[in-house]
This record gives sequence, C-alpha cells and structure tokens, in this order.
Amino acid sequence: MANDAGGAAAGIGASLLRREDERHLLGRGSFVPDIKLPGTMEVAFVRSPHAHARIRGIAKPAGGERRVFTAADLPRLRPIRVETQAPGAKSPPWPPLATDKVRYVGEAIAACLAPTRAEAEDLAAQITVDYEPLAAVVDAPRDMQGSRHPVHEGWSDNLFSERVFAGGDIEAAARAAEITVRREYRMNRQSGAPLEGRAVLAYRDWRLDEIVIHASTQTPHTLRVAIGEILGIDLRRLRVVAPDVGGGFGPKARLYPEEIILAALALELDQPLRWVEDRTEHLLTAAHSRDHHYQVTAYASRDGRILGIDAEIVVDAGAYGLWPQGPYQEAAMAARCLPGPYAIANYRCRALTVATNKTPMGPYRGVGRPGACFAIERTIDEVARAAGRDPVEVRMLNIVRPEQMPFTSIGGMRFDNGNYPESLRLCAELLDLPGLRSRQRRGEPDGRVIGIGFAVFAEQTAHGAAEFVARGAAIVPGFESCTARILPDGSLVLMVGIQSHGQGLETALSQIAHHELGIDPARIAVRHGDTETSAFGFGTFASRSMVMSGGAVARASRALRDKLNRIGAHLLQCDVAAVRCRDGAVRGPQGSVSIAEIAKVAHLRMDGLPPGVDPLLEAVATYEPAVGTGVFSYATHGAVVAVDPETGFVELLDFAVAEDCGTMINPMLVEGQIRGGVVQGIGTALYEEIPYDEAGQPLAGTLADYLMPGAAEMPAIKIGHLHTPAAATEYGMKGMGEGGAVGPPAAIANAVRDALSALGAEVNETPITPRRVLAAIEQARFRVGGPTG
Amino acid sequence: MTAIRVIVNGAEVIDNVAPRTSLGDWLREGRNLTGTHLACEHGVCGACTVLVDGEPIRACLMLAAAGEGSEVRTIEGFDADPLMMALRDAFHRRHALQCGFCTSGMLITAWDLIRRGKASSAAEIRRGLAGNICRCTGYTNIVAAIAEAATAAEGVGDGE
Amino acid sequence: MKAAAFDYVRPRNVAAAVDLLAADKGQAQLLAGGQSLLPLLNLRLASPARLIDISRLPELAMTDEDDATVTLGAGVTHAMIEDRRVPDPSQGLMPHVALGLAYRAVRNRGTLGGSLALADPAAEWPAVLAALEAEIGVVGPNGRRRLSGTNFATGIYATRLAEDEIVTALRIPKLSRAARWGYAKLARKAGAFADALAVAVADPRRGYGRVVLGAANGPPLVMTEAGRALAGTRRDPEQLRRAVETDLDSAADRRFDAYQRRLHRAAAMRAIVQVIQ
Ligand SMILES: Cc1cc2nc3c(=O)[nH]c(=O)nc-3n(C[C@H](O)[C@H](O)[C@H](O)COP(=O)(O)OP(=O)(O)OC[C@H]3O[C@@H](n4cnc5c(N)ncnc54)[C@H](O)[C@@H]3O)c2cc1C
Ligand code: FES
Ligand code: FES
Repeated sequence: MANDAGGAAAGIGASLLRREDERHLLGRGSFVPDIKLPGTMEVAFVRSPHAHARIRGIAKPAGGERRVFTAADLPRLRPIRVETQAPGAKSPPWPPLATDKVRYVGEAIAACLAPTRAEAEDLAAQITVDYEPLAAVVDAPRDMQGSRHPVHEGWSDNLFSERVFAGGDIEAAARAAEITVRREYRMNRQSGAPLEGRAVLAYRDWRLDEIVIHASTQTPHTLRVAIGEILGIDLRRLRVVAPDVGGGFGPKARLYPEEIILAALALELDQPLRWVEDRTEHLLTAAHSRDHHYQVTAYASRDGRILGIDAEIVVDAGAYGLWPQGPYQEAAMAARCLPGPYAIANYRCRALTVATNKTPMGPYRGVGRPGACFAIERTIDEVARAAGRDPVEVRMLNIVRPEQMPFTSIGGMRFDNGNYPESLRLCAELLDLPGLRSRQRRGEPDGRVIGIGFAVFAEQTAHGAAEFVARGAAIVPGFESCTARILPDGSLVLMVGIQSHGQGLETALSQIAHHELGIDPARIAVRHGDTETSAFGFGTFASRSMVMSGGAVARASRALRDKLNRIGAHLLQCDVAAVRCRDGAVRGPQGSVSIAEIAKVAHLRMDGLPPGVDPLLEAVATYEPAVGTGVFSYATHGAVVAVDPETGFVELLDFAVAEDCGTMINPMLVEGQIRGGVVQGIGTALYEEIPYDEAGQPLAGTLADYLMPGAAEMPAIKIGHLHTPAAATEYGMKGMGEGGAVGPPAAIANAVRDALSALGAEVNETPITPRRVLAAIEQARFRVGGPTG
Repeated sequence: MTAIRVIVNGAEVIDNVAPRTSLGDWLREGRNLTGTHLACEHGVCGACTVLVDGEPIRACLMLAAAGEGSEVRTIEGFDADPLMMALRDAFHRRHALQCGFCTSGMLITAWDLIRRGKASSAAEIRRGLAGNICRCTGYTNIVAAIAEAATAAEGVGDGE
Repeated sequence: MKAAAFDYVRPRNVAAAVDLLAADKGQAQLLAGGQSLLPLLNLRLASPARLIDISRLPELAMTDEDDATVTLGAGVTHAMIEDRRVPDPSQGLMPHVALGLAYRAVRNRGTLGGSLALADPAAEWPAVLAALEAEIGVVGPNGRRRLSGTNFATGIYATRLAEDEIVTALRIPKLSRAARWGYAKLARKAGAFADALAVAVADPRRGYGRVVLGAANGPPLVMTEAGRALAGTRRDPEQLRRAVETDLDSAADRRFDAYQRRLHRAAAMRAIVQVIQ
C-alpha cells in the first residue's frame, strides 16, 4: 500500500498538514448557512428591547398569525432548567420563548417565519409587545444581596450561588504578614465572538420519522439529549449534525433557546426552517463571558513569600443559567485557580455567582481562569513591588517546584507534573529580558515607555468524572468514544463524539490511528459532529478532545489491531504471537498480508476467517484518563508593551509563550492553538468589552463598537516548548486548547504596570483602554503630588 | 425586482433581484456560491470579500442590483489562478487556517495585496490585513503564508 | 441583519438624479459607494423608500486640474486617491490620509462625496478638506452653488447641503512645493474610525496656516490660534502649544472630557510638529 505520509512523518509528533484545509481553501466548506433545502423558511426573532419588563400582551399583525409563533403557540416548549447538585445553588426556569417576563435585552419573545430573512425581519418589525418596564439589576456587586425587583420571582436576593473555599489558617497568615497588598480587579464582560455566529437548520425527515437539526454547535450529542428532554420526544427521533463550524471557543458548547424553538417548529410545520444568527444578535444573545470582580488581599513575608490569600470573587452571570452546567462553574473555577501555580498555605475565598438583567454567561476559552490568573498575577507583581524585588524573582520564590510534584494547591488543584520555574525562565529568555531591561533604562526616542510583564498559570485539562462530580455538575462529561471501522478495501473510518471546529482533530486523530495501525492517514476518514454516525460523546470543550477522543481512538484502533492480527496470523498460517501489525500490513515470520486483504476476508470472503472469529472489522471504545482530576498543562506568558503616557495608547511589541502540554501529537496544531488563544487573550486584555448602561442596555452591538484584535496590532507570537509527558493519559498527552487565552490579560496588565512604574500607575481592569490608562495615570498623579502635581 | 446581468466567475448570469438584496446574499442564496461568508454584514470583518471588476470589495456592502454590468469573482472562481494556487499552498503548509470561516476573504485580500505589490514585509502585510478578522489563528501563520506566496510570486519580500 | 425594502433606481446623469431626488423629497436617498449607507440599511438604522444610485455617474467621476486648483468629482473613491489615480493638490497629504482610512475593500467603493455628505464627525475628509480650504460644488433643483469646505459640516451628520441637493465636485487649492503638512490619527485599530484626528497645513508662500481637528464631537474644529501661529514665520513650539490650549479652551461647546482633551491636544501637537520639524 502506498504510504506517502511515511511512518515518522505522519505518526505521533509529526506536524502532519491538515486534511481539513482543502475544502476551506477552495471555498467549499459546508457550514450550516451553506446547506440549502428547497422550501426553507427563514426565522427572525422578536427580541426584548428591555433589560427587565413584564409582558402584558403580544399583538401579531393581521395576516401574519400563522407565521408568528410565541410561547403560547408552542405549548410543547418546556423551560430550560439546569439541574445542579451544588449545595445552596438556585436554578431558575428559562422559557425558550419569554412568557410573562423578559430578563435581558435580546431575550427571544416570538419567532417569525418568511421565505427570506429580510421578510422575516419585516414581519418581526410588525409585532407589538406591550411591556411594563421594571428596574434592571445591572451592578452585580451592588445588587447581589437584593434589589427592588430581583431578577427572579421568589428570590430574596440575586444570588445564583455562594460558596466559600478555604484552606489553612488565613487569620494566622494575616498576623504573620510583613507585607499586605490589597487590590480590586475587574475583567469586564465580553463576547466569545467566533467568526461564524450560531445557526440552526431544522426539518422533518418523514422517511426516517425524525427531526434533523443542523446546528453550529460544539456538542451535538448533548444537544440532542437536551432537546429530546425539553420537547418530550424520543432521541431516536432526533438527529443533530454539526457540520463545519466557524469557531466555537465555548459559547457554542451550550444549549440555546433558538435550537429548541427551531426543533419545535420543525415538529409543527412541514417545512425546513433556518435561523442564522447575525452579528448583532450574537453580541446580544450568544453567551457572554468573564465579568469577574475580585477583591484580593495578599499576605507576604518581607522577601515576597506569599503566606496567604484572602479574596472575594463576584461573577455577574446574567439572567439565566445555560444548560448543561448552569452559571456556577465560572466563580467556582476562578476560586480554585486563584492561588495559581504557587505553593501558598493559607487561603480563603468567597465566590458569588450573581443574577443580573444581562445576557446569560457561558464558557469562553479559559472560562474562570483568565480572571483568576489576572487577579493573582497582578497581585504577585504588587507584592514584588512592595518587597522591592523583581516580579520574576518573587514568582520563582513562590512557584511550585518540580520536586514537589504531584502537588495539590490550596485551591484543590492536583498538579501532576512539570517544571513550572523552567517555563518562567524560558519565557524570559524568549523575550530577552536583560536586553529589554537595558532598553528600558535607555528610554524610547518617541517618548513612550516600555514595560515587560509575565503571567504563569497551570491549566487543568481533560478532567474526567471525578472533577465534574465534585463540581456538582448535572452532566458528567467524563469520557469520549470512538467507533473504528475498517471497510472492505482496508480504508478506515473513525467515528467520534467530539466536534472539530478548527482544532484539526480530523488530522490529529488520524495520526493516532496511523500510529496504532500503520494505515496511511490519507486512507483514514474522521467523522464527527453527527449523532447518527458516532457513538455518544460529549463534544469539544474544556481542552479535552485530544486526550479523551485521542484515547478512545487509540483503544478502538488497538482492538482492531488485535483482530487484524488474529485474522492475519490465520492467513499467514502462523501463531498470533508471531505477527505484528505495521505499515498497513500484518507481518509474520514469513511474509505479510495487507490490511486491505484482511479487510476483504472479514467482509467479502468470510470463508477465510479463522474459526471463532466473527466477520466485520469494527470496534467501539470509550476512554477516560486514569486520573479524573485532570492533567495540567502549564505556561508562562510574557508581554512587552509600549505605553504612550500622553494618549494612553498601548502597543504590544512582543509576546512569548513558554509552555508544556506533555506529548504533542501534532506540534503544528499545538502552536496554532496557542497563537489563536493568545490573540483572544490579547482581545480580552486590550480591546473587547460589552459595557451596559444603568438601564441594562448593552452598548456594543456591532464590530465597530466591539473591537476584535486585528493583524495590524498583533505581534508575531513566540513559542517555546517544554516536554513533560503526563503519566495518566495515552502517549502522555495533555490538553492545551484554552491556555493561550488565559495568560495575556495578566501579562499585559503587568507589562503596562511595569511601563508606568515611574508614574506609579496601574490598570486593574480589562480591557486596558487608552481611557483607562490615562485615568490611572491621572489618579497616580493625584495620589503622589496632589491635583496639580 | 431589478433585472441584472452580471459576469460571475467568468460566466454571464441574468437574474431578477429584490433591490435590497446584497451582493453577498445574492451570491450565496441565489448563485449557491457559499464560499463567500457573512460574519458581520456591516463592513468590519472582511469575511465577505470578493472581487468586483478586479478590485476587492465587501459583498455585504454592495447591492446585487448595483452589480449590473460588472464582473464578480468569488473564491470559487480562482481555481486555475496561479497566484491563488501559490497562496492556497502556502496557507496549507503554514497552517494559516483553522475553522476556515475567514479564509475566503483572507485569500482574496492577500491575492490583491500581492498583486498590488503591497506584501513586501510582515508589517505591510499586517496593515493590509487590518480589515480581515480571523478569530482562530492569531494571524502569525497567515502573515507568514502570505509573505511566502509573495516571495514566490515576485522573488521579493521578507517574512516574519 | 437585512435591509428593509426599498426601490432602486439608477439615473443616467446628475440632472436625472436631481429630478428623482426632488420628486421623492424626504423619501429617497442617494447611494454612492454605500460604505456608510449599507451598514445603516443592514442594521435598519435607515430605511429610505427609494435609493438613487449615483455610484457610476461619469460626471461625478471626472477630475480636472489647473495651475491653482484640482477638481475632484464627488464619486472619486478613497482608493483612487490612495493610488494617485487622480491629481493630488495636497503634496501627498490626501493619498497619505486615504491609506489609513478604513480598509482597501471599503476604499475601493467609498467616495469623497459620500464622506462629505454624511459628515460623520470622526471621518477624515471633512477635516482634511477644511484644512485645505476646499470648495464644495453642489447641484439641486435651483441649480448649482458652491459652498466653503471649511464650514460645510454643521454638526454631527449635519451639513449645509439641502435635502434635494447633490455634491458634485470638490475644488481644492493646490499646496505649493514649499508647503508642509502634518497628520495624526489616533485610532485603536488600523483602519478604524479615529478617536482623535488632526490635520496641520502650512504654506509659507501663501502665508497660509491651518490646523483642523476631527472626531471633535461635532463638525471639524478649525483651530484658529494654532493656524495663525503656524502661518507665521517664527514658529516656536511653546507658542504653538499655548495656541492649541487656547483653541481647546474656546471650544467649550464641544464638551470634551479630560480624556478627549488630552487626545486632541496630542493629535494637534503631533500634526504641528510634523510641519515645523
Ligand atoms: C468598516 C468601515 C470602516 C470605515 N472607516 C472609516 C474611517 O476610518 N474614516 C472615514 O472617514 N470613513 C470610514 N468609513 C466610511 C467610508 O469612508 C464611506 O465610504 C464614506 O463615509 C461614505 O462614502 P460612500 O460613498 O460610501 O457613501 P454612501 O454610503 O453611499 O452614502 C453616505 C451618505 O451620503 C449621501 N451621499 C452620498 N453621495 C452623495 C453625494 N454625492 N451628494 C449628496 N449626498 C451623498 C448618501 O445619501 C448617504 O446618506 C468606514 C466604513 C466602513 C464600512
Ligand atoms: S460580512 Fe462583510 S465585512 Fe463582515
Ligand atoms: S480560521 Fe477561523 S476565523 Fe480565521
């Protein structure tokens, strides 16, 4: 068999070029809005213009009655409800179409159908809703204990949940402290903003008696479960397909009202229905993220050793909890990550998740980590400053050392292995720290000031059942599955439960099968994102797919290999112990038989099978890593900025990442994920924000207001690798999809702080806009020298 | 409805369009040329970039009716173009795409930059890409791929 | 995000466009490059009953040049200026400005006339043309008239143009070879609208000095003191700085907050320094 990919060039560790590329380069990808079905009706939604209001009535235009659907028209729609086992957590019902109340701007009220989207929007514009506006809850820290009109009926406060995380003796740390640093931090609300918005196409297939839903989602299987439950229909009658998906990053790993509504409409109507989210809808209604508020007190010894951290975290989670995990994980994860990769003995953190009249919060690359990293890493820099030491030195002093591994942090994270201090050293080297320091002393010719900042973090990845059970999750995404099928010609199909939307999993998973079976990757197909083709799986999120799905592919491939060996040995007339499956063939002491020949026997010539061996070459395997608490990738991010003290503009001059994600199946893909994540993190740090006014109106509805990082402002991102394979996973892989987005806000804020150190100014809120920089400079001037200083 | 006659990827098309239909919607819904993507419909993201009379434009910010008498070229119309082949090859080898949603617009923008001699350095390429958002790649590899294709095309230019 | 329905007409010449515009007063809107209008339509922030497409009228694409002036049709695109496909009266200022205005795909369609007629406060051309003392030619049912480019815009999205008039051309005095210009655009992203914008022009041979601010909470802000100081022969940076402060003080009606004032001051000084260096 031709094996043009070659052994080492295609197996584990090879930067095999992507099989996904061709269709996209030719413009022949297939995203949901690209799928055409005759007679499709387009859907536009009537959405609430109020943050909080009672609905007194809805009037449909004459003639439009049968093309406008409200909650009353779709009795099948049951509310979305997140079940949580987390103690004390509240879980309000969320009707997919609002019934008596709306709780955020953009909440869906009615679905309008027409042959084109433009006409559907015309129809939506003719519907009048009679609202009784109510005061909106918009300030989470202020309103969390209660407000005149709580977000949800029957609540005395606006708290989704409140938890305290504690370890050691924080009071003792406070008494022993020689340095006390107190800061408030804020990471503002933003959007995940994949380039493709959400999209749903739903229709009834009469022949198969099912509803087919094409959705731009990261989680087709769990979406099917949820829709089946809410609409009360058998899962056998639902098929969910996620075709090409134009980016996900977390927001597409949740169930949305629109998906349920289109499925319900497809049950009612005999026409395909399509809803394609536009950018304004996306900024308004797709899950928002971040919106973290921190109060951190660090206690340290004179030399900068951290004795304890006392903190409060408030997460503004918006109006409802998104299925399946609800609003709770954000604050809890932040609380557990706040102590960072440091050996800190004493900790107390109150973590509050607050309901407000804003868009529901969902996961976005990094979830609770970027905020926690921002808070702790900014704090470390301030401790260093108070101790009169370099921030790198103080990090070295506190960081978990390799000989302490495995190490359970005071936040309860079990770091498995790695050399954390070395990542810090390597990152400083990639940026040429000494060179930068002398450039800094020389000063810039244009009057700007430069600064260097670092952030170190460890990223829990591929966590299994143990982690999700501990979180009180309703759904425990502890495994992945793979069905591996060799076809009669010897080509291989891997059917997996994850969804690949840019990560290159079609390529990487084929590399694993190639490693196990020796089949040329060009002869391997990877099918994903379709409930019809694969066994159940949870989808792609939480930096899990490569480890989990890769593990399942490895196990299924090995099961196939065993069977190939048995048939091959029989055909070669030798003992099965004497054969090896290599380079696309089973090889015995004398001669070999190709997988294609074996496949032919297994399907078309079963008379050639050994006694007791069934026909077909198919294996279904699941995989869960040996450790349920996750394996930890880690990294140091370093940023170099130039700040213009006259205008507050910040230019990013350089950015470096020194990371360790264990064994890299495909280093090219790993680096692609890192760079993409970093630029998203830079977006959080410098550009992206959805502010709300006091009435609960969101103020960024287009990309003219919602700034996304562009090529012109981004530096080329440097990457250095460390290699510490995980013990608990196949091949020593660790997940790494999210880390890129975790460090940049902290590293950049620290760099800005470093640049402004002579002025004594610091910016403790993201995005770090020119306005905020100038305000910080102004404030520092006021503090130091009085108003005229 | 407005009658239009447009050359699309080399072939003449005669159609009736609702005046409000954008060129982008018409290409996608009317001509099934779904390689042109819409990601903002207000001119910022660049995903919808196509050529009209040889120059890149925003397909979301042009009416199909205004295309009367023009020549439109979409990503599907470059299959035999040597510069586009070089770009596609460089994008593939440099891992310059992930989800692929920005890719059509990126390629056409890059094609135009190289054609106009505006891809001579990484900094110039980055400026030239300012109107094309990629949410996935972080741009580094896109810039490298374009620099490489530019070098191949003209024997000049330096990468990053 | 799709536009509400409208009629579409493409008149054959400016006179026909004027007739159509007058006939449908208040209901019809001109469509030039569409690079501002289409976003507004798509977002349903504008919903005219009829669009009159003037984007391909030959009269609006014409250019002319004599010893003292250059005339550019309203339909000249940003890209034509960028590429110097049309004569440049400004010793390179206008091509330089065009290069930083939006993105190439937008510049290929967006026009001078559309930009002036729209009068977005953050737009480049209104400020630049005020700094160059351009004259704006318009035509309406009552015939042609010429308006000063310096005070053509009267507010945010407001101009001296009557509802039924069309901008036809801009007549721009040529800067002499000895003239110098400075330009500063402070924007958070390349190609984005400016947070602050300053144009400074000095033509000593004509005793001409102008400093104009854009993105200034209103129409372009002509900084008279700074302009006068720049026109002089002894141009001392300290004196210019004071002049800028005076101009900002006397622009109290613009209600700049502390941040905006700082940005405008920085932009103005950067443009001025480019001129006097
Ligand atoms: C993403 C993006 C970024 C941008 N960034 C910038 C920027 O940084 N700086 C900047 O200045 N601009 C920017 N623009 C706007 C762009 O410059 C527009 O081209 C310009 O503002 C309008 O010109 P147009 O020809 O496209 O006008 P249109 O959009 O066609 O029309 C605009 C308005 O002017 C009227 N009009 C048009 N022509 C005439 C005429 N001859 N007489 C009378 N009325 C007329 C129309 O009726 C309409 O009301 C940006 C646009 C986009 C989409
Ligand atoms: S869709 Fe046209 S620029 Fe974004
Ligand atoms: S590859 Fe996904 S947006 Fe560029």
